[in-house]
Amino acid sequence: MIREKGLDICLLGLLIFSTGCVPMAEKVLSHGSPDDLPTCYAIFPAGPWASVHRIEVTLRGGVSSSLLGVTKGEPSERRLHSLLLTPEGFILFDAELREGGIVVRKAVAPFDSPAFASGLMGDVTLLFLAPQARPSIWGKEADGTRICRWEGPGGTRTEIRGSPNEGWRILRRDDQGEVTREIFLNGPLVQGLASYIELRASRPAAYKLRMTLLQAAP
Amino acid sequence: MVRFLFLSVLIGTGLFSAGAGLSQDWASLKEAFRNIRSVKAEFLQKRTLPILTEPLLSAGRFFFSASGSLRWEYLSPLRSVMLQKGDTIQIYHFSEGVWKQEMTQAVEARRMVLAEISQWLQGRFDESKAFRHLYSPGPPARVILDPGEGINKFIHRIEIVLSARPGVIDRVEIEEPGGSRTSIEFRNVEINSSLPSGIFEKP
Repeated sequence: MIREKGLDICLLGLLIFSTGCVPMAEKVLSHGSPDDLPTCYAIFPAGPWASVHRIEVTLRGGVSSSLLGVTKGEPSERRLHSLLLTPEGFILFDAELREGGIVVRKAVAPFDSPAFASGLMGDVTLLFLAPQARPSIWGKEADGTRICRWEGPGGTRTEIRGSPNEGWRILRRDDQGEVTREIFLNGPLVQGLASYIELRASRPAAYKLRMTLLQAAP
Repeated sequence: MVRFLFLSVLIGTGLFSAGAGLSQDWASLKEAFRNIRSVKAEFLQKRTLPILTEPLLSAGRFFFSASGSLRWEYLSPLRSVMLQKGDTIQIYHFSEGVWKQEMTQAVEARRMVLAEISQWLQGRFDESKAFRHLYSPGPPARVILDPGEGINKFIHRIEIVLSARPGVIDRVEIEEPGGSRTSIEFRNVEINSSLPSGIFEKP
């Protein structure tokens, strides 16, 4: 009896372990038609917008800080302008992404390193600009979860998973398939922007951003 | 550093103007400033940024004691508070139903500026190396602050508009390079009233 129970647990463990190890690409996917492609872009604002977010940053070890984030976007030109402000309104960081390059207008320590600028603008791009290329895969899993996947430079991969009812996730994977960014988007959408966003970064630095939309304008 | 200079200007000049009649000269204003024991007020802050069509609005309040304590608090859209009591400074933000202490770097930056604030709170406002002051009797009476070399990269001009009610300031206007601007309007200003116990110690 005890032996059978032990075997059951082993089988259960094996089952859970196996399920956890199945790469997402291997899940049964009902491939979408070209008509389904717009779904892959629905979570990104389509036209110009400006937004204000309340941002809580949590670093490894639980140290946290509250900031205001102001972003203006021009998706058709792939332009972004982002500011980080203290609650008092002092600008800590001000940078633009245009023509694929980052122009830092202002950066106050400890936000003044090139790595910070690159990381922040990379996160903002992942959040608000749809990948440029056509997805390599898009469709629906058996449980109705919609999936869009883009192959990026250097073996990186961007994936969107979710549904209008359940909310959406954006995953960024490195060339080993490991998730380096996981973003949760929850509605309702205002001017094409999610009301609540949570970004979890694991590499190269681990941190979490919880963003609440305060203002959105076209 | 600059954000705290800005705060210093705000608090320092607020106290400076408090208790002063509009017809008073600069020396009288300084004397009135020295008679301040406490100030508490609410404020509405409008932050105008060139990339936003609508200003960013924040509401808050502050408490000051001439014994060397300050509580500067934002109630919305972000709840945060800076507490100074003597040499101790603590900064918190409110999240998930609890107050959380801010990152160390921010605390250190505020500590630097509080040295500047304390100068002004001891009646040495015109000893500031950061700003040149100009008093205009009005009406409305105004104090204009022109930044010196270095700080003018961040702040072009500060203007404090005094209320017709003696001892009260109506608003502060701060102009920055690039078209950014901050306006802070004060409401319900109380001078030398009693302050709640523990207001400078706990968020």
